[in-house]
Amino acid sequence: MPFVSLSTGLFVLAVLAVFQLSPPRLRAVVLLVASYAFYLAWSPQGAIWLLAVSAVAYLAALAVERPRAGARQALVALSAVACLLTVLLGFKLADALRAHLGAGGGKTGGDGLVAALLPLGMSYYVFKLVGYLLDVYWGRRPAVHSFAALALYASFFPQIVAGPIERPDDFFAQVERLELDPEGIAAGLRRILFGFFKKFAIADRLAVLVGAAHADPATHSALELFIAADLFALQMYADFSGFTDIAIGLGQLFGVKGPENFQLPFFARSLPEFWRRWHMSLTSWLTDYLFTPLRMALRDFGQAGLALAILVNMLAIGVWHGLSLTYAAFGLFNGLALAASALTLSRRTAFYRTRPRLSKVRAVLAPVVTFHLFAASLILFRANSMASALGYFAHLVPARGAVPAFRHDWGQLGGLAPRSLLVILLTAVVMEAIHWARGEPRAVERFLTLPRALRWGAYYAAVIATLALGEVGAHAFIYAQF
Amino acid sequence: MTHDEVKAQLTEVFRQVFDQPTLALEDATTAKDVEGWDSLTHINLIVAAEKAFRTRFTTREVQALANVGDFIRLIQKRCG
Repeated sequence: MPFVSLSTGLFVLAVLAVFQLSPPRLRAVVLLVASYAFYLAWSPQGAIWLLAVSAVAYLAALAVERPRAGARQALVALSAVACLLTVLLGFKLADALRAHLGAGGGKTGGDGLVAALLPLGMSYYVFKLVGYLLDVYWGRRPAVHSFAALALYASFFPQIVAGPIERPDDFFAQVERLELDPEGIAAGLRRILFGFFKKFAIADRLAVLVGAAHADPATHSALELFIAADLFALQMYADFSGFTDIAIGLGQLFGVKGPENFQLPFFARSLPEFWRRWHMSLTSWLTDYLFTPLRMALRDFGQAGLALAILVNMLAIGVWHGLSLTYAAFGLFNGLALAASALTLSRRTAFYRTRPRLSKVRAVLAPVVTFHLFAASLILFRANSMASALGYFAHLVPARGAVPAFRHDWGQLGGLAPRSLLVILLTAVVMEAIHWARGEPRAVERFLTLPRALRWGAYYAAVIATLALGEVGAHAFIYAQF
Repeated sequence: MTHDEVKAQLTEVFRQVFDQPTLALEDATTAKDVEGWDSLTHINLIVAAEKAFRTRFTTREVQALANVGDFIRLIQKRCG
């Protein structure tokens, strides 16, 4: 069943009712049955893969933990990790080939592209299980002795479609004591409402404009393409953070709060800082399980080892989205920029330390430059092929006789009049203000202690804004395809 | 080496790597408590500690560390 649909809404209500009526020891079982029911409704074949990889991780972790495993620990752990990653890569490769043969080098998933073979959420649950296995192997945590508990970790339905990738320690600590928490439910519902607002009132409105620019860059001016590239970064942010809000909110209904994925990324003052604030559950996972081991292995090679580890890590982030040249180029673009930033960090710090005035200018400009670097890399991410991406980049340079920079024909920009674009940008400012307030405990407390009429007024305003401004149901979540 | 001896020498390593001459370490100190201790500088710290204590850590040992206390105990185990 689609993640945002009436049937999913009714399903969640039914599961919540059963969950509330169940005795504490059965609540995890209710969530496991519900998670598999949700998955089976989507794809019975996919459920077999989910079960199979969960079983591999479960058995391998128990074997690794056995006291007599000795030298075989590494063999068992690494073989199981290789097995899980091979399954994931196999599906990604099959999808890449299918897209290449069927759509002229395009991508799978998304609006109007080739349907994916990759089972729903496999990129997320395989990473969860690989992380769990490596944690047991490294001695960070004990193996889970209940298969049902591990199966629930992999299949937990609020997180199955597009994460966030929750770490095993955090998940099992919460699942051990699933309590009925009215405040958690209220917080979850607020979070879900905010997620829908971001998705429908901001992301999907921007999708129209960005889609028009990418569909035919040649008919757009350089300025329009520049604006569309910036707006796609905003669209991605609203779309994916909106999805994360819905996923975290759904989890909160059942007493499981997933990890945050975003922390005001557009305020980051450098690309390394940006990547610590964007899709955090994936980037922190890759830092722990790929970058750090790789950096350890390459530590004798000095700065070259650091640069290589960064490049491989960012390439992995790129191709995690799919095995296509554009995703690989997206990863490499960010990898090169990150490596350059890391290698020059100490010199730049020393340079600005003695120049306080310049340092102040830098503090203002750095987030702007960081944002545009990321937005430029997203042109590669968004394009259906390298040829399209290069075409877009080529038209970003103003040329003589090209489309005029300022026009009255807003039809070329996906039918969005300047006034409606202004409305979207204002809603984006509201979104970011709420993101900021969410990180301030006093602001949250102040909101929750407002008179009931004011709080409910805010909720109704969010619902009305979502319905009035939104393109409800028109576009799938971008990250649900990975 | 005693726990305190390792801690004193490790504190010097931290001060040099993070360029913070007054940095003080506790057993419970983690990356969140030290400005500049992130994924990019983490291995610089490990390499500096390897040099200072003339030892070599495995990836598995490094990945199992949860805080400075764990790090001190690992160094003690390695250096006797």
